[in-house]
Amino acid sequence: MLTDPGILFATLLGGLSRAMILFLLSSGLSLIFGVMNILNFAHATLWLIGGYITFSIFSFITDGMGFAESGLILAVSIIFGTGVMVVIGYLIERLLISRMYERELPEQLLLTFALILIFGDVIKIIWGVEDRSIFLLNEPWEILDTFVNPYYFIIIATGCAVAAGLWWFLQKTRYGKIVRAAVYSREMVGALGIRIPMIYAGVFALGVGIAGFSAGVFLPLMPMALGVDIDLIVQCFAVVVIGGFGSILGTFVASIMVGIVYAISILVWPDGALAVIFLIVVAVLILRPWGLFGTELRF
Amino acid sequence: MKGRNMTDKGQNGPESWLRKLVEWGGLSGPILVLLGLGSLLVPVLVGRFWIEVGTEILVLGLFAMSFNLIYGYMGQISFGHAAFFGLGAYATAIMFREFTGGTEEITILQFFGALLAGPPVAAIGALVVGFFCIRLTGIYFAILTLAFGELLFFVVFSWYTFTGGDDGIQRLLPPPVFRDPTVYYYLTLAIVAAAAAMMWRITRSPFGYVLRAIRENQLRTRFIGIDVRRYMLVNFVIAGMFAGVAGALWGPFTRSVGPLRLGWHESGIAVFMTLIGGAGFFAGPAVGSIVYTFLHAYVTGFTVYWPLTIGTVILLIVLFAPGGLLGVIDAKLIPRILNRGGGEERADNSPKKSGKKRETS
Repeated sequence: MLTDPGILFATLLGGLSRAMILFLLSSGLSLIFGVMNILNFAHATLWLIGGYITFSIFSFITDGMGFAESGLILAVSIIFGTGVMVVIGYLIERLLISRMYERELPEQLLLTFALILIFGDVIKIIWGVEDRSIFLLNEPWEILDTFVNPYYFIIIATGCAVAAGLWWFLQKTRYGKIVRAAVYSREMVGALGIRIPMIYAGVFALGVGIAGFSAGVFLPLMPMALGVDIDLIVQCFAVVVIGGFGSILGTFVASIMVGIVYAISILVWPDGALAVIFLIVVAVLILRPWGLFGTELRF
Repeated sequence: MKGRNMTDKGQNGPESWLRKLVEWGGLSGPILVLLGLGSLLVPVLVGRFWIEVGTEILVLGLFAMSFNLIYGYMGQISFGHAAFFGLGAYATAIMFREFTGGTEEITILQFFGALLAGPPVAAIGALVVGFFCIRLTGIYFAILTLAFGELLFFVVFSWYTFTGGDDGIQRLLPPPVFRDPTVYYYLTLAIVAAAAAMMWRITRSPFGYVLRAIRENQLRTRFIGIDVRRYMLVNFVIAGMFAGVAGALWGPFTRSVGPLRLGWHESGIAVFMTLIGGAGFFAGPAVGSIVYTFLHAYVTGFTVYWPLTIGTVILLIVLFAPGGLLGVIDAKLIPRILNRGGGEERADNSPKKSGKKRETS
């Protein structure tokens, strides 16, 4: 199977696009953990909500207002959906998460764990139990004797663009520098007169916004369905553990690793795809608990 | 502590018994006596459905108490504890299958033999998983236990020939005498009570106090010459073994086991029960099991939105009553019984820094 270049290419493409979704989710997860020390179990569930919201906006524009379904409408929907998710993320941080900073780790984990259950049912109540996805008509491209959906390339390009944008934001802008400083010493940043609560709310909203954005981008490829979030969050944990918490570069590399390993395992040994990833996680946690790209100091 | 008795008003009557109980075991003392007596009466008072709910409370309560050995006493949160519950359940179920060989006949001796297979298998599983997990703490411990739990879930899920895959193992009928819900209830009660007594003894032993020391500060515990990792591993194995006892009882009770018993949902049940009851108390998970299972049996009667219900309950408890139900009772009642500041059990057992505000008051 793996000797056929066409299948190998398609697998690689599928793996890379999966890597992008993992990266977009894990970067938010990792950023939130790095700055606030909160591990957001509900991150993938918020991603799912973002997808459903974008879907609703899309069908409102196409069905309700009579526009033809097109990539442009999807792009507009994604922008609005991301905006809604930023607001939701901000509210969740202000109303719930901000009460938990002084608490012990297990309680913080349990709060976000409870959010998974609550949001899961909220989705059921609002959108029902059917899968939701958007069909965009694309002319398949013929590459290496296989037909591939060109949308894969859009996703990979978008993922890389967000990665670059995030890197630019964290390294070059004033706010990015504040966020990075907050990762190292919250007290010091606070002492410099920067309002820490606003930084926290902003980072959380940013993380949730990126998640909502990626869900919208993936709508034409991956149906939003109940239970997908659990699958994803577990893999995101794998990514942040392998890459190292708080390291965007590590998260990027680990996402690609996990995405491709997952895609190849599905081809070779479908039942064991997740098992293979967990084995990598276990190995990393035992040999290098701070991750491949993290620094030992932070552990 | 000693001067307390001099200010007592009366030494006779039920009040002094209550006081002795509280002095013996904190709030858990009277709660355990109450639960013990109450559980004996359950089959007399209620019908078949609630007897089965009672059995479920006992089995899951034991599971949650075993989880609290890791969470409440050792201070680490495990999201993969159901793996050992499931291993125990599968060990028993596979023994059942081998003994019956497709028929539904099993002798009493074989039945108890199958039950006995659960705990050691779970303990061995916990030894292997624990060997890796105890090297880490906090968030990494949580993720690693979750990863191992899911890993074992996938092994059971995929190993069709041995475990039955996603079909699980069906038709686990206990011997005729134990098929009656009341009889099975009392059997479960006896085993759970014995297991709980053992755990109680463990938490009050020097070993249990070392665990509390590890919970409070690993580094200092190491400095006084204690092999922290060995104690954590032993405790992990003990907790896994008791989860295996609960798992062994589960199969014959529901007549089947499936791979979901190892999944993170099941692990979540132990976490929720412990949180509802109060992790700072030995009896906390037992009380949590009663509340959770009752609520589940009641709420699912008229709505499918059980996750929403339990999620909201957990959210409210985490936000407003992080000590759990017993934490609330403890703060209100114990000072009145003992005529003093109270909170002995909390200072003694609590894994929560968040309780500090109330502790000092």
